[in-house]
Amino acid sequence: MLKITTTRRGFMQLGTASAAALTVGGSLAALTGCSKAPAASGYKVLREGDVRFFRAIAPVVLDQSYPGTLGEQAPERLLHSLDRLIGTLQDYAQSQLLMLLDVMQVAPLRAAMGAPWADWEKVSHADIDAFMQDWKSSSIQLKRMGYGSLCKLLTMCWYSQPETFVTTGYPGPPKKIPA
Amino acid sequence: MQNTEQRQPHVPVVAGISDPILEGISNGWNVHESTDLADGTLLEADVIIIGTGAGGGTSAEILSKAGFRVLMLEEGPLKSTNDFRMDEREAYRDLYQESAGRMSKDGAMSILQGRCVGGTTVINWTSSFRTPEPTLNYWADEFKVAGFSKDDMAPWFERMEERLNVAPWQVQPNENNSVLARGATKLGIDWHQIPRNVAGCWNLGFCGTGCPTNAKQSMLVTTIPEALNNQSQLVYSARAERLIFEGSKVAGVEITALDKDYQPSGKMLLARAPHVVMACGAINGPALLLRSGAPDPQKRIGKRTFFHPTTFCFAEFDQLIDPYYGAPQSIYSDHFQWLEVSGKAGYKLEVPPLHPGLTSVLLMGHGHKNFADMEKLPNLHAMIALLRDGFHPQSEGGSIELAGDGTPIVDYEINDYLWDGVRRSWLTMAEIQFAAGAKAVRPSHVDAPWYHSWEEAQKGINALEFRSNAFTAGSAHCMGGLAMGEDKNKCMVDSDGKYHYLDNLYVFDGSAFPTSIGANPQLSIYGMACKQANALVEKLRSAQGKA
Ligand SMILES: Cc1cc2nc3c(=O)[nH]c(=O)nc-3n(C[C@H](O)[C@H](O)[C@H](O)COP(=O)(O)OP(=O)(O)OC[C@H]3O[C@@H](n4cnc5c(N)ncnc54)[C@H](O)[C@@H]3O)c2cc1C
Ligand code: SF4
Repeated sequence: MLKITTTRRGFMQLGTASAAALTVGGSLAALTGCSKAPAASGYKVLREGDVRFFRAIAPVVLDQSYPGTLGEQAPERLLHSLDRLIGTLQDYAQSQLLMLLDVMQVAPLRAAMGAPWADWEKVSHADIDAFMQDWKSSSIQLKRMGYGSLCKLLTMCWYSQPETFVTTGYPGPPKKIPA
Repeated sequence: MQNTEQRQPHVPVVAGISDPILEGISNGWNVHESTDLADGTLLEADVIIIGTGAGGGTSAEILSKAGFRVLMLEEGPLKSTNDFRMDEREAYRDLYQESAGRMSKDGAMSILQGRCVGGTTVINWTSSFRTPEPTLNYWADEFKVAGFSKDDMAPWFERMEERLNVAPWQVQPNENNSVLARGATKLGIDWHQIPRNVAGCWNLGFCGTGCPTNAKQSMLVTTIPEALNNQSQLVYSARAERLIFEGSKVAGVEITALDKDYQPSGKMLLARAPHVVMACGAINGPALLLRSGAPDPQKRIGKRTFFHPTTFCFAEFDQLIDPYYGAPQSIYSDHFQWLEVSGKAGYKLEVPPLHPGLTSVLLMGHGHKNFADMEKLPNLHAMIALLRDGFHPQSEGGSIELAGDGTPIVDYEINDYLWDGVRRSWLTMAEIQFAAGAKAVRPSHVDAPWYHSWEEAQKGINALEFRSNAFTAGSAHCMGGLAMGEDKNKCMVDSDGKYHYLDNLYVFDGSAFPTSIGANPQLSIYGMACKQANALVEKLRSAQGKA
């Protein structure tokens, strides 16, 4: 039986066989100090590792809409939008999310969660998709929550960019001329 | 195949609209951004109102008209007409709690709530319903709420309907809403036109990002300007951090001044008044009381928090729907709402506007599937069912907890009782959509494919697995947490909105509802706050008379 605790440290406390690996990994993450890593330059919250992670999964989550007409600017635009959104989440939600991102930065830890072992830059789109599919239908609530959060954050930040309107067929808002 | 051609919006250019807030300020209103005041500034008034949404705006107008000096405190920024550019990015960042990313503890429910001067009324969709009679009766029976019968409330609703120009929407509904009317008619399901609080609405469809024409009669363009004309003071970007207690009274309010990024600026302010009204809404109101260590002998603060958990069902049509344009909500059906008052969860049927950022989230999923769904946007319709929570022993609502830094955590579980309602609502919506001519239908569950016939949908929906976080449960209606009623075992405030355990603290907002409403809540809050603020005026006057 799986016993899932969604406490403050939820991502570190899966009551399963992989919990041992996870807790070890958790202390590993603490040892390597990645959760204390400073924000990447130009960012408020996202750290170098998070930037690499999101850059890797964005094309998989957003499929053919990405990078669209934004071209080379797409990653920057998306990441800064994500950074701002995550920065305004309140304590609990933000700490949960950063913990998830911590896990994604340490190979043994993320492997224990069913994500690819290799560096994010080197993982194929197919492998990223496979791990996301696995999380989507997982019986472990934390994985489903992680899946939901990652997808929501990325798509919300992406499809609200006016340059993506052309891909969805949204003609955009009316023109506004302030008096 | 990717779309490459940009269609032109078939909505008019918005020009020649004045900004009443900027005008008022230049005419000398007493309005301050918190960080413009010196650290440690003491603000004084007759009545402090915390929060400027539905309850706060209504109360501020009534109290200031009666001659009391009102101080309005608002944690959000002051944004007004010229700022409303119908851009999802700006709107979520500036006008919503947590940039529209607020969610329940387990991430299974997405919660939309306002955070700006005018509160959630600035970004709501203008549907205006009186509190349904079965709800009022249930409150009287179960919580000993006094003076809230249908007849007691009628004059207060009338007053607020007149004040906010509430009337059934007479214009042709947009195609997104027409689907509901058409499908329901085919199936013999009754539906009605929605009353809206608008004056001279341009039928644009951007109520959710702040009305760019001043048509929506939100607190921002009605009661708040009137309160400011009546010598009230407004301090924004000012979060009530803690209430300070002295004996059985609130002696003051400790305020955190927030900076342009909505983070604590390091400055603190203090406010003092003989009477304090909390109108900071569900979730944040209970959190403020928990942070403050307010008296709570039964440990009921934050309990019975309700959301109208909302389910979504999408439908693809051959014809254009353009679901982002036109008055967002104009048709509803209560056919499935009151089959039983306190049995299985009833639900109200409406439609949501579909702007691309939010739609991508509601559709759920990733990769090719999500993108293929997004590409259908111009031909997409969505229907929502708002589940009426709080009327059954298995629907006691959620509770509010505090994170390490004192911000709220919403613990709310979608349980088997609600799941039963979720599934029934998907079946209802899919059947209506097919009856209206939908080509394909998909409930917002990650496992659900597009169904191409009602028979296929029926089979498919009945087989969908109940897993939290696997389907969209949304909420735009945060209610409860400080239940109203004379039964102190269950309730935190009395029928006048006075906090049971303090002499000068009142709660005039949606957090006082002992159950969900069973209808979009704004008019319930307006009517209740109007009644309670007027009672407070009488009470303060008679105290003055005695003094
Ligand atoms: C997208 C959307 C659409 C909606 N559409 C409709 C609709 O069509 N019809 C309908 O009836 N309802 C609708 N609603 C809901 C409705 O607008 C709200 O239920 C209602 O406004 C709640 O009123 P309130 O007074 O309880 O709180 P709010 O209106 O939310 O106001 C509370 C205010 O207090 C402020 N505040 C909170 N904490 C503090 C603090 N500590 N210090 C200072 N200030 C604080 C907040 O920033 C906020 O501005 C909608 C909601 C959303 C999100
Ligand atoms: S639909 Fe009407 S009320 Fe809503 S934003 Fe447009 S003009 Fe304003």
